[in-house]
Amino acid sequence: MVSSKHDIEAALLAEKRAISAGQLKEDNPLDLSDDFKHFCEACRRGDLKVCQEMIMQGVNINARDSFDNTPLILASLCGHYEVVQLLLESGALCERDTFQGERCLYNALNNRIRNLLLEYDYSKSTDPLQPLAAHVASLLSREHPKTSDLALVTETEVFHIHKFLAATRSPYFARRLAAAPGVRSWKVPNGLHSESLQAALRFLYLGEVTADLGEGEKEQEILTGIDKLSRQLEIPRLFEHILESGDRRLVRQRRTEEVSRGRDELDAFFRGNVVKYKIEVDTSKAEDVKWDKNNYIFADILLRADEDPLEPEAEEPPPVVRKVAGPLNGIPIGPFSSDSWSPSRTRKPRRSVLYPAHKAMLLRSEYFLTMFSSSFKEAQDTEYLQIVTIDCTPEVLEVILTFLYTEKADFGLDVAIDVLFTADLLFIEKLKVRAAQIISTLGNGGASVVEADNSRGEAGAEEIDIYDVIRAGWDTRVQRLEEFGARYLAQRLEHHIDREEFAELVKESAARVKNRQETDTVELIDDIRYELSERYRLRFEEAGIDEMEEAAGGLLQDSGSSETGQSPPQNFQSIYAPEIDGELQHGVIRTLDGEIAGDEFAQDAMNYQILLGKIDTLLASLNLDA
Amino acid sequence: MNVHSRGKPKIRAPRRTLVTNDDDFQTTWSQLEASFGQIHSKNASSISYETLYRLGYRLVLKRKGEELYNGVANFERKWLTNNVQAEVKSLLAPSLLAPVGSGAGALSTVERRELGERFLRGLKQAYQDHQVCMNMLGDVLMYLDRVYCGENHVPSIYTRAMQLFRECVLDVPAEEQNPHSVRILDVVNSIILEQVQMERDGEIIEKNILKSCVYMLEGLFVDAQESEEKKLYNVTFEPLFLRMSRDFYHDEAERLIREFDAGGYCRQTKKRLGEELDRCCSTLSESTTQKIQAVVEEELITNKLNELINMDSGANYMIINDKAEDLGLLYDLNAQVDNRKGKLSNAIHCQIIAMGDALNATILDIAASGPQAANGLTDAAIQWVDRVLTLKDKFDRFHEVSFRSDHIFQTTLAESFHHFINAPAFGRAAEFISLFIDENMKRGIKDKTDAEVDEVLEKAVVLIRYLKDQDSFEMYYKKHLSKRLLMHKSVSLDAEKLMISRMKMELGNNFTYKLESMFKDMSTSEGLTSDYKDYVSGLESTGPRRVDMIVSILTGVTWPLESASSMEELSNKPQQKVIYPDAVNRAREDFEKFYGQRHAGRILFWQPNMGTADMTVRFPGKNGSGYRQHELSVPTYGMIILMLFADLPSGESLSFAEIQAGTNIPPKELSRNLQALSVAPKTRILRKEPMSREVNETDRFFFNEGFTSQFKKVKVGLIAMRNRAETVAEQEETKKAQDKQRALVIEAAMVRIMKGRKTLSYSQLLSATIDQLSSRFKPEISMMKARIDALIDREYLARVDDASPPAVRYVA
Repeated sequence: MVSSKHDIEAALLAEKRAISAGQLKEDNPLDLSDDFKHFCEACRRGDLKVCQEMIMQGVNINARDSFDNTPLILASLCGHYEVVQLLLESGALCERDTFQGERCLYNALNNRIRNLLLEYDYSKSTDPLQPLAAHVASLLSREHPKTSDLALVTETEVFHIHKFLAATRSPYFARRLAAAPGVRSWKVPNGLHSESLQAALRFLYLGEVTADLGEGEKEQEILTGIDKLSRQLEIPRLFEHILESGDRRLVRQRRTEEVSRGRDELDAFFRGNVVKYKIEVDTSKAEDVKWDKNNYIFADILLRADEDPLEPEAEEPPPVVRKVAGPLNGIPIGPFSSDSWSPSRTRKPRRSVLYPAHKAMLLRSEYFLTMFSSSFKEAQDTEYLQIVTIDCTPEVLEVILTFLYTEKADFGLDVAIDVLFTADLLFIEKLKVRAAQIISTLGNGGASVVEADNSRGEAGAEEIDIYDVIRAGWDTRVQRLEEFGARYLAQRLEHHIDREEFAELVKESAARVKNRQETDTVELIDDIRYELSERYRLRFEEAGIDEMEEAAGGLLQDSGSSETGQSPPQNFQSIYAPEIDGELQHGVIRTLDGEIAGDEFAQDAMNYQILLGKIDTLLASLNLDA
Repeated sequence: MNVHSRGKPKIRAPRRTLVTNDDDFQTTWSQLEASFGQIHSKNASSISYETLYRLGYRLVLKRKGEELYNGVANFERKWLTNNVQAEVKSLLAPSLLAPVGSGAGALSTVERRELGERFLRGLKQAYQDHQVCMNMLGDVLMYLDRVYCGENHVPSIYTRAMQLFRECVLDVPAEEQNPHSVRILDVVNSIILEQVQMERDGEIIEKNILKSCVYMLEGLFVDAQESEEKKLYNVTFEPLFLRMSRDFYHDEAERLIREFDAGGYCRQTKKRLGEELDRCCSTLSESTTQKIQAVVEEELITNKLNELINMDSGANYMIINDKAEDLGLLYDLNAQVDNRKGKLSNAIHCQIIAMGDALNATILDIAASGPQAANGLTDAAIQWVDRVLTLKDKFDRFHEVSFRSDHIFQTTLAESFHHFINAPAFGRAAEFISLFIDENMKRGIKDKTDAEVDEVLEKAVVLIRYLKDQDSFEMYYKKHLSKRLLMHKSVSLDAEKLMISRMKMELGNNFTYKLESMFKDMSTSEGLTSDYKDYVSGLESTGPRRVDMIVSILTGVTWPLESASSMEELSNKPQQKVIYPDAVNRAREDFEKFYGQRHAGRILFWQPNMGTADMTVRFPGKNGSGYRQHELSVPTYGMIILMLFADLPSGESLSFAEIQAGTNIPPKELSRNLQALSVAPKTRILRKEPMSREVNETDRFFFNEGFTSQFKKVKVGLIAMRNRAETVAEQEETKKAQDKQRALVIEAAMVRIMKGRKTLSYSQLLSATIDQLSSRFKPEISMMKARIDALIDREYLARVDDASPPAVRYVA
């Protein structure tokens, strides 16, 4: 299972040599920047939120610090399961038979993390850009629905390609197409092998360029052709790619580089065209926008998103928004919708944004694939570009488009739930996962930043409406959000347990199990109970669980407040210190019932019992048995 | 990103809350319903996918999935019942409902066909439209399919709609008023069957319509489980089709066998089979291919095969008349139903044996026609081999052309030939084959190219392979070969050696070992003779001239010397030694001396019966003056006899007894030689009194001074010297010799076995012995038992007391 030590050492040596010889790029470059230090610190402490923020800022997730530790090693060593998961999902490498990978495995604090690492080994640690590259590559051979708009005609074959991709990837094409955007087909000069052109196109389309080019003279001709194309299309990397197909790892690195380069080019194209030329108009006029088919950015579809009519009232707190009756609860639907939105309610005319887009990229969503393959209106050929309305805000639509074009999915907590719903609507599974990830990391359920901020304030200042999040998780079938919600609620159960909304939510959770039996459990409650025990576990373990049980039984023992000063683990202190400090500032240590407890531990133990008791009371009142 | 631009990030609630509201469902649903109607009327291109999808999505999100699902199902049910069902029924002409054949006068086949086609075409169209619409509905309701259907484990919209098509269109009574009438599905099935029947009867039908309908039946299922075996096609259509086909082919087989001969029947069957397979591809489902094939094969082939093979125009007829192609068809048919092709191969087996036995009988007839026809018998033997080879050629051709070089038939052929060649009633195969080779070696291959020689040899070897008792063949071959070698009768020594090497490949080293050593003897003798010549010339320089002599030294055990025992007797009774003329005797003694120097301790036995001598004889001239000189080539014995007359005064005679006394030649040999010298007209060097064909002991012999011949060289051949088929008496002698030989071989084998196994029961010993000897011959049980007793007597073996079953043990 695990490679023996000398094998790893030998591999490491070979790798070092290759790197110093310049043949290989280092997988884990040394990074001494402050950002990275900050990131590593967050990984040590298990601060999900900071980790997520740093990743979104673009810190190199696979770099190493001055002690040769990668963030993944740190997180697994310190036992932060959620952080390890986040890092792996964000593309941290943990490969068998590499030095750093094996180190991660050896270091992992517990088996849970170890298994997680193993699970990600090989299969999932592939290039996160792979899905994008695979999609783009598949466009070259996809015939239905038709998305290509340029035919390259050689003596023997016709290649159907996409202008926007050609222009994105090759400066030559970009110039030629800028001069003649309406062109339908080009004849390729005679004497060029189809195989050469095919290889070049595959390269442009981010596909794997194989070195299988026939034999002898033919191979020579094809290579010459590729060389020529490589220069003409101004993509010198192409020829280098073809020539260097020896070492597998080198090829992989080169390919990873090329894909990421392709992504950057696509990103630039997306920003410079799709986003740049978006049209903002009054919603009432949105239907009248006409775009010619032969446009300079080669768009073949307009995607429309209407701004929220309630935007002006956005200052109102979210709970109120949820309870607004009237038009909002109606279902605004496409063409019919304009009537149901009463203009009198909004102070200024509703605005819409139209993005010129490319079907070829939209096909990544099954929704669009089906739409364009069907025989409905959207798939018909019309004089001007079709306008397809997407049921979300422009902001969200832009997030969606960004993801489809570039695989990038960095967006704020504020739109996360909307993105989640829209991604669900459009069947973009990866984006759903990403949205859930963002919600569960930035809206941190662990008691770190949020809890710290809240500890002195009131519950109302929470930055997410956890009830919405949990319901969204249920609606979009994202298990992770429910788990997150349970953790979140457990961390601050004292603020929620008495709320009507909470009882409502528990009832809903119970109703989710069909044909409920008397003995069935309520999933949410189970999760909360588990997370609650986790919340207090650390402290109990510190002092020994039995002792605490006794303390809970009312035999309060003065274990001495000096214990808090006994060098607890770093993370422990950082998480709980603020809370304790806050309480200490008040000078008195009280339980949730307001009784004065002897010290923090006794207080915790009692609080735990009180919360558990409250849950039982709640269930009883709801007539639920769990 | 605008995350930070807004200051503290704050999560926004979902824009639209999920409030349940009954009104909502109704309005949304009515919009959807209207659009569905449009889709069904093929107006989809004006409908927005986005809108419909969003409606469906909202409903699912609001937990209205079930209502939506049922709504769609009801909508489809209504649509199918009201529109599609009615349309399909309207195509149903009343005559189509009537069972086939009843009211036959009413409609011609063509009319019925067209009505059927019209109905099927309409149904096909309805089904395809439904499929297209349902695909579109499925697209629009993708979210419902994925989320609601997935979570609740109900079939997708498309699947459900297909079930509805079956329920509402196919599973309804065909006649409105009569709820117990046949269902539309039954009508479909029966129309397809009818059309198939029409095609079988030679009509041209529109296959693609049938095929589309079959697709439909394959795409629909009997129940909601949708398991592979529950397709409408498999459950309803296929059994009907197979039953109907069985009935049809049952009658068809009867008809064909009445109307055609065997070859024709095969052709028709092949055609029918091909048609059915084609039909499965082009009209019905490929999954039926094997089943219908089984039906046709059973009815047309399996059930009729016996009849077919034994028909007047069956297998035997084909073989006799060289109908290779027909036989091939017959083979194909049999191969279709039986991998081992038992029936045909059996028939072939019987036929070959019948033909072979007839051949044997003919030859035996010739053999029985009289002992003096020995020469004729020899010819018959060669003829027999020729005919067997012809027969073999014929069947080899059948094997290649008709039986597709099937190795099962190869075995059958081999077994059959083996069977009749070794038929106990015949029993002369070994001898005949050896004679055949002998004939070819002496004459047959004379002016032939290497390739042709090769072919002849190959054939001979093939026949040898068929022989059961190879030891007896070896015996004959040795005998014939020895004569060829000693008399220098072989045309080509290369051919002989080639033959040996072939036999070596075929029968193994053991078999040819002795034959090879015969060749070795010949070549060493040659060297010896020339050495002797040198030796003699050394002597002659001082002494008198000697007679030229060529000696062949033959190893006693390898050569088939006639009655080896008599040779011993000969040496024991010196008075019986042949008296050689002085000149010859001197040369003989010289040679013995010479040989004794070279190989001390070896004893030479002279075999004058196998040698020849060249001598010059002077006959008086025609008119008394001068003389005519002839060079005679005579057997050694003949030379000895003639030498007696050399010293005899002209006109005197010697009696048989006098000659015998003067030469000591065994009487049998003597009479044979005298016969050659005095009876054969061309070589009558002696005159006999009285003149008769037989030589009697009372005859007197004169030197025939009046001998004439147009040749200077005259060869006097002994009748017995030629290799020829044996007479009955000789046969018995050979048999005796062979039995003796076998007895030794069996004993040797038994001792070998017992030495290894120490103790064995009788039956085990017998079977082990048979096992060991099977490559040479099949020993008879009685002979083996006798050998065991003999071995016990000689204390090689001993009975084990009280052993049950009785056993013997090896005595060391």
